[in-house]
Amino acid sequence: MSMSNKRKRIDVLLQTITYSAAIIAVLILSMIVFFIFKNGSSLLSIDLITSDYHAQFYNGGIDEVNDFSHTEKPEYLTEDDYYSSKWGLALRDERDKQGDLMIEVAFIADDSPLKQMVDKNNPDNNNFSLEEGQVVTTIKFYDKNSALTIYGAQHMIQELDEVNTFREIVFSSQGGGIRGSLISTLYVIGMTLVVALPVGIFTAIYLNEFAKKNRVTNILRSMVEMLTGVPSIIFGLMGLAVFVPLTVNYTKATSGNLISGSLTLAVILLPVIIRATEESLKVVPDELRSASLALGANRTQTTFKVVLSSALPGILTGTLLSIGRIIGESAALIFAIGTAVKDDISIFGKSTTLSVQIWSLMTDEPANIELASTIALLILITVLILNLLVKLISSRYMKKFA
Amino acid sequence: MSENVFKINNLNLYYGQFQALKNISLQLKKNKVTALIGPSGCGKSTFLRSLNRMNDLIDDCHIDGDILYHQNNIYQRGYDVITLRTKVGMVFQKPNPFPMSIYDNVVYGPRCQGIKNKKKLDDLVEESLKKAALWEEVKDRLKDSALDLSGGQQQRLCIARAIAMEPEVILMDEPTSALDPIATLKIEDLINELKENYAIVIVTHSMQQAARISDETAFFLMGEIIEYGSTDTIFSNPKEKQTEDYITGRFG
Repeated sequence: MSMSNKRKRIDVLLQTITYSAAIIAVLILSMIVFFIFKNGSSLLSIDLITSDYHAQFYNGGIDEVNDFSHTEKPEYLTEDDYYSSKWGLALRDERDKQGDLMIEVAFIADDSPLKQMVDKNNPDNNNFSLEEGQVVTTIKFYDKNSALTIYGAQHMIQELDEVNTFREIVFSSQGGGIRGSLISTLYVIGMTLVVALPVGIFTAIYLNEFAKKNRVTNILRSMVEMLTGVPSIIFGLMGLAVFVPLTVNYTKATSGNLISGSLTLAVILLPVIIRATEESLKVVPDELRSASLALGANRTQTTFKVVLSSALPGILTGTLLSIGRIIGESAALIFAIGTAVKDDISIFGKSTTLSVQIWSLMTDEPANIELASTIALLILITVLILNLLVKLISSRYMKKFA
Repeated sequence: MSENVFKINNLNLYYGQFQALKNISLQLKKNKVTALIGPSGCGKSTFLRSLNRMNDLIDDCHIDGDILYHQNNIYQRGYDVITLRTKVGMVFQKPNPFPMSIYDNVVYGPRCQGIKNKKKLDDLVEESLKKAALWEEVKDRLKDSALDLSGGQQQRLCIARAIAMEPEVILMDEPTSALDPIATLKIEDLINELKENYAIVIVTHSMQQAARISDETAFFLMGEIIEYGSTDTIFSNPKEKQTEDYITGRFG
């Protein structure tokens, strides 16, 4: 009797431990996701993805105006959109991606005088105008104080309505976007896979299909396994020491660049891809190899026509996981590419992937937690989608071979 | 009197130190079904696999003695194994279609030999599937995955795949052991039809099957052939006591 009571108590204890461990794990994970969502979801928009990180500033001037717009206020504008029918311009107070106050152009009429201004930085530019979505920073007048962002949109419109001309308008595009980082992330994914996939897959094929089972093969295999455990920052050092000088010598790059970064990532991914491919080659039933050989196919035909096509789902899974790894990698790229966020992306130049942009934003003064969280959210969503794809593929695959 | 396709003289086969086949001598004839029977581990599958040199895949396997295929020793140095395997097809125990379409499965072998002519391949698919009694069931879905077929259909597809190489001999290693009785019956009917064109060697664990479909039977025990002769004789009037014991189920 006491024995069974003791047994029961142990059972309860063990179950409690497993339950609480699971709850702790789930709680921690959901807290991370919640934190990222809370900070990042407000900035998530198509704008963010399509706009540049660095705002482009313009200085516009205007001649004496005789012919004003006098367009009616469009109906879709709200009370918060302050409107000047004289200038055909609606302004609105907004918060930018750093969370600071800004005055955004909510509407501008086609016949607005502000559509035909003089570009003070480039007088030859005939097509110089204020556009919807841009940010007005300052309007400098001839005989009164300038209208500044801090006074708000209403003040700016009122001041503008009183005059017929002004000295200068300073406006800019909205910055804080991630277009550049997104493009360089795509470049890096592409270039890394182009290098790592063939080398990795063919190495795995060699190890699993052609190599004799001897000591050399075993040493090679255990070296590959060891490489999977090396911290990526060490690969970053290697990228800095080997790939950066290499690309600087042989391409027009002058410092860390996307090519050196991709090569570094390719080295990081090689063991991952080799392992994933080898695992999927191992589960291809030997019967298929025998069947192929018995039909008069040679070893190479068997490998590339039958074995590889059976292993394809596994290889694809490995590839998708690798893409997730590329998107998430930052330490190695800080060395191999650099941390300067860029908008004009060249594979020979510096720029950041999304993860490195997070690093860059958080080391700025002050740190931009909102934008960093938004990028984190994007990465999270992408990795989630990749993982779902992996699940889908492997469940299909299971159905095939079960 | 049908002609010999294979002539095996004093074949010994070793896996490392272990001798799996001892002093095998046998003739395999055209247009005949030869059944290899015997308890598990007696060497009948090993023998079958040595006929198209599939044992080459096993690392420490070596043989002495002769296997003559049309008077040529297939184990002599420089013998073209690829050509041998195109002439000696094989069907395995478990249906093992490739994970590709039915069509691609059938033309796999010919394609590996470099046949690319679409018309020729189409004809080959139809002809092979008809011979394997599968054409009517799959003619509308040749592009579907072969893995969607039932087990019996898959095995007939494997036979069609072997036939597409236009071989002379088909080796079958317990081709029905993974199938239900109805599928088994279909395969057996098929074997009966196929022997008009091919020499068939079949390993089987089913005495009834051997009795039903084979013309000649060889009884293997511990790597030796105990008795070899026409199926009728072996089953009705075996010379050896061991053969009789095995056939009547008093053995092993």
